[in-house]
Amino acid sequence: MITDKYLAALEAALANLAPTEREEVVAEIRQHIADASAAGKPIDEVLQKLGPVDALARAYQLELLVTPRASAPAQSSSDRWLKIIGLLALGSLPTFIIVVVLGTIGLTFTVTGIGLVLAGAADQVGALPAWVEMNAEPWFAIVVGVMLFVLGVLSSWGTVAYIRFVVRAVKRVTSPAA
Amino acid sequence: MATLDITDWTSQLRRGVLELCILQVLREEPSYGYEIVTTLAELGPLAANENTIYPLLRRLKADGLLETFLRESPSGPPRQYYQLTADGRRRLSALQKEWQSMSGAVAECLRRGERK
Repeated sequence: MITDKYLAALEAALANLAPTEREEVVAEIRQHIADASAAGKPIDEVLQKLGPVDALARAYQLELLVTPRASAPAQSSSDRWLKIIGLLALGSLPTFIIVVVLGTIGLTFTVTGIGLVLAGAADQVGALPAWVEMNAEPWFAIVVGVMLFVLGVLSSWGTVAYIRFVVRAVKRVTSPAA
Repeated sequence: MATLDITDWTSQLRRGVLELCILQVLREEPSYGYEIVTTLAELGPLAANENTIYPLLRRLKADGLLETFLRESPSGPPRQYYQLTADGRRRLSALQKEWQSMSGAVAECLRRGERK
């Protein structure tokens, strides 16, 4: 039958669309032919108005290429979970080391740096409490304190940047459109 | 230099406004492909080929402006109906404003041209 031939050719020409998309398109064109025939239009005329199969398929591909997500095969749930497990397996140990090491350095260096600068400044003006023992020159304590503070802030920034990167990577993998 | 045939010009113009018209046709109630095609065909200059309208419907669906559902048909298999999504309604509203602004400007342009 001429309609079946037309639809089979259309299905073949739409081979690069996702199966669900392709099935819906073919069903819709089948439905259009049935509706037009029911309205009394000759089948030849209906197919002629639909145009050559290749042209119709090209028109679909053109429209759906504008939004590639629509024609890309959907990622299955199992694929997504496999990706997540793979990402966690690869990322967990480095993540643990980086976050713990950088985080610890960031926190301790920042706090120690501030402490040293304050202690150095207090020693300089002779206001250092008696229970604080300082075996270095005040200016040296201040310089080291500033250096530690800068290192601590950089480490903290690195920790936050790394955590953001991991979160973005996980989101990308878990997104259904990924 | 190649000149644009009037038929090509009309075709391009129609293509540009077809999205607005399809969304407008679906504004009140859901409809299916053949009904949308025949409704647009009744509007003369807006009559577009099936091989323009059907792919456009799929694209609007892919864009999240339309959604589909199946409804029993008196003859044959269930029909695929299209209806506007919330995004589709927002898009329609934006396109309506854009069209009114554009058509007003074109009308004014033509009016000024006639005066000279």
